[in-house]
Amino acid sequence: MKVLCNREKLREGLAVANGVIPAKSTKPVLENVCLVATDSGLELLGTDLEVSLRYTISDVEVSDPGTAVIPARVALDFIRDLSSETVTLQLGDDENITIQGGDDSCELVTVDPDEYPVISRFDTEGAFSIQGGSLTRLVGQTAFAAAREGGRYAMHGILTEVHGGELRMVATDGRRLALASTPVDVKQDSKEPAIIPTKGTQLFCRVISDPLDQVSLQFGSNQVGMKTPNAEVFARLIDGEYPRYSAVIPEETKNHVEVNAEMFSRKIRLVSNVTGDDARAVRLNIKKGEVEFFGRSAGRGEAHAQMEAAFKGSKTEIAFNPDYVLEGLKNCEADLVTLEFSDRTSPGKFRLGENYIYVVMPITVEA
Amino acid sequence: MDAFYASVEIRDTPALAGRPVCVGGPSAGRGVISAASYEARKYGVHSAMPTAQAARLCPELVLLPPDFKRYTQASREIMEIFKRYTPLVEPLSLDEAFLDVVGCERLHGDAEVIGREIKAAILKEVGLVASVGIAPSKFLAKLASDLDKPDGFRVIQPEEVRDVLDPLPVSKIFGVGERTAKRLETMGVRTIGELASRDRETVLERFGASGAWIHDLAHGLDARRVNPSREEKSHGMERTFADDLSDPEELRVFLLEFCEEVAFGLREKGLRGKTVTLKARYADFKTVTRSQTLASSTNLGPRIYSVARELMSRVPEGSFRLIGVQVSNLEDVREPVQADLFSGLEESGRGGRDHEAVTEGLDKLRRKYGRGAVTRGSLVGRGRSKGRDGS
Repeated sequence: MKVLCNREKLREGLAVANGVIPAKSTKPVLENVCLVATDSGLELLGTDLEVSLRYTISDVEVSDPGTAVIPARVALDFIRDLSSETVTLQLGDDENITIQGGDDSCELVTVDPDEYPVISRFDTEGAFSIQGGSLTRLVGQTAFAAAREGGRYAMHGILTEVHGGELRMVATDGRRLALASTPVDVKQDSKEPAIIPTKGTQLFCRVISDPLDQVSLQFGSNQVGMKTPNAEVFARLIDGEYPRYSAVIPEETKNHVEVNAEMFSRKIRLVSNVTGDDARAVRLNIKKGEVEFFGRSAGRGEAHAQMEAAFKGSKTEIAFNPDYVLEGLKNCEADLVTLEFSDRTSPGKFRLGENYIYVVMPITVEA
Repeated sequence: MDAFYASVEIRDTPALAGRPVCVGGPSAGRGVISAASYEARKYGVHSAMPTAQAARLCPELVLLPPDFKRYTQASREIMEIFKRYTPLVEPLSLDEAFLDVVGCERLHGDAEVIGREIKAAILKEVGLVASVGIAPSKFLAKLASDLDKPDGFRVIQPEEVRDVLDPLPVSKIFGVGERTAKRLETMGVRTIGELASRDRETVLERFGASGAWIHDLAHGLDARRVNPSREEKSHGMERTFADDLSDPEELRVFLLEFCEEVAFGLREKGLRGKTVTLKARYADFKTVTRSQTLASSTNLGPRIYSVARELMSRVPEGSFRLIGVQVSNLEDVREPVQADLFSGLEESGRGGRDHEAVTEGLDKLRRKYGRGAVTRGSLVGRGRSKGRDGS
């Protein structure tokens, strides 16, 4: 194998691959990146067996096609720190690979390519396309609400389904839930929703270099594939039962508040500065025409703020973890945000855009 | 209190007086002694000793199973007596407490008078013998109470601190265990006096932060106050099995029982906790712990158990002599709670409000009819497991 490539493009490809490749694995072969040079170009393959990547590097000259499996981290670090414009990768007869940039070079040991796991190829059957930017938006509006540790395994992923001509993504950690959707040109609803591990959806976003590019999605029985002009990502679906999320999104509520999104966000942040470290709670007192915000911290003091609001309902109060509310508001697309809830112990539904709902459970105090 | 459990037994069965009496688990299996009367101690029997060994040392040993109900009752009565003299009572265990009587002189007389009165009241009202130690700090007071047990009464005046401390072995210092004592010995330090005469920097270098602590104590310096509302940092339960256990199913059943018990204890104290720790000791005494912190704190058995079971699966399989479950990171149940989205609609409300209501009802039954009155289906028919001390 002998390939000449643009150093920056190779570095970028290796950086993306290192996002999937585990730094330490019980299967050491996975700590490597697989380079496949063919007459049509150079492909980088990486996987942790959950999420896999095929990444094509453009602008390469392949003088000798071949395959090499090389230590991913070291290769990235070395190529990043080279100062030449181009890099040559050459596999020697001793099965070592030489990475040369200008007068500088290194020789790395390789692993037998037969030991490297097989990585799928994108299957176009049943695939549909969506604008890259829309997919990135859906992931950004939901992924933060997925469970990170503990809790049910299924909640560590993003539930994804096609329903009524919309691609819908849902994420929850059991205390808040984000639901975002975007229209897609698909007639048929998905038979079964897919739970994509968050790591997979993050990689989707990472390989979408231009938001205007069309990308393809294909849902298989146990994996989802995504294809951009220069990359294919596959994520093994989480096999688990997702909570019945639609049952916890309130439909009819007694109280309905509408506020300026930016101001609301600012007041919450302000008052949250005077809340405890453990029990962070901001209490909202809502009455006709205004919302009052209260934060208190044992041993530190109290904070109070207020703002104008359009309110339908009777004077009421509810308390939320300010971090949860702010995380959702960060992705708010509209100038106005509405909050609907029934009472201080039931879920609060924030409408953060036309196709974006965020439900947060309140903080309650035992009587 | 002197040989507390054993003394309660002798008080309630006067025929036992003068005989070597022990409270503990049976010698079959792996019972241990949890309290030994002074007569028994003459044979070399002491608490934490395997019952089988105690029986060998003292063939006429009277071994009784523990009855915590009576011990707790006696303990409560004793603590009530303390509180007549000062509100500043810090219980250390069922049968030990620190009292701060500074400022009570006008009301009750000086510390020595109060000490004598308390000792007499415990004997008269509870029928048990107590040892009293009076000193300017907690460390010295505890030391004083141990100095002429049983039936002791010892005052350490500020000016005699050095005379009392100097000849004592370093192991009398709270925090100096076997290992520290050995390390001190390699420095040529055997007595408290020798430790006190060492340069502070040297001790600090050798033992880090705990060096400062033991060096202070060696000088009789102990600034800890008597804290009547010492917060509980953790709540747990562990058991050494009569026979080593390796069957995962059987281990899980024990685990469930412990979790239920720990959860009940937490609820009784109005607490809930966030971190669950599993402790497992293999037959060869190798001990491992695994812990996990939950997103929200709990005092419900099934929640604790689901974590403990998960932790157990992370421990390499083997033959275990002990397992234990502990919940830490505790908070008052009156602290605000982040509500859960799905608790209302899942698995018959596991962890949810319905579950809490059921638990509350069950707890009422447990309080009224005893802890075994209601139990989980999976625990039915096993009876409550016995620990090595027979409790």
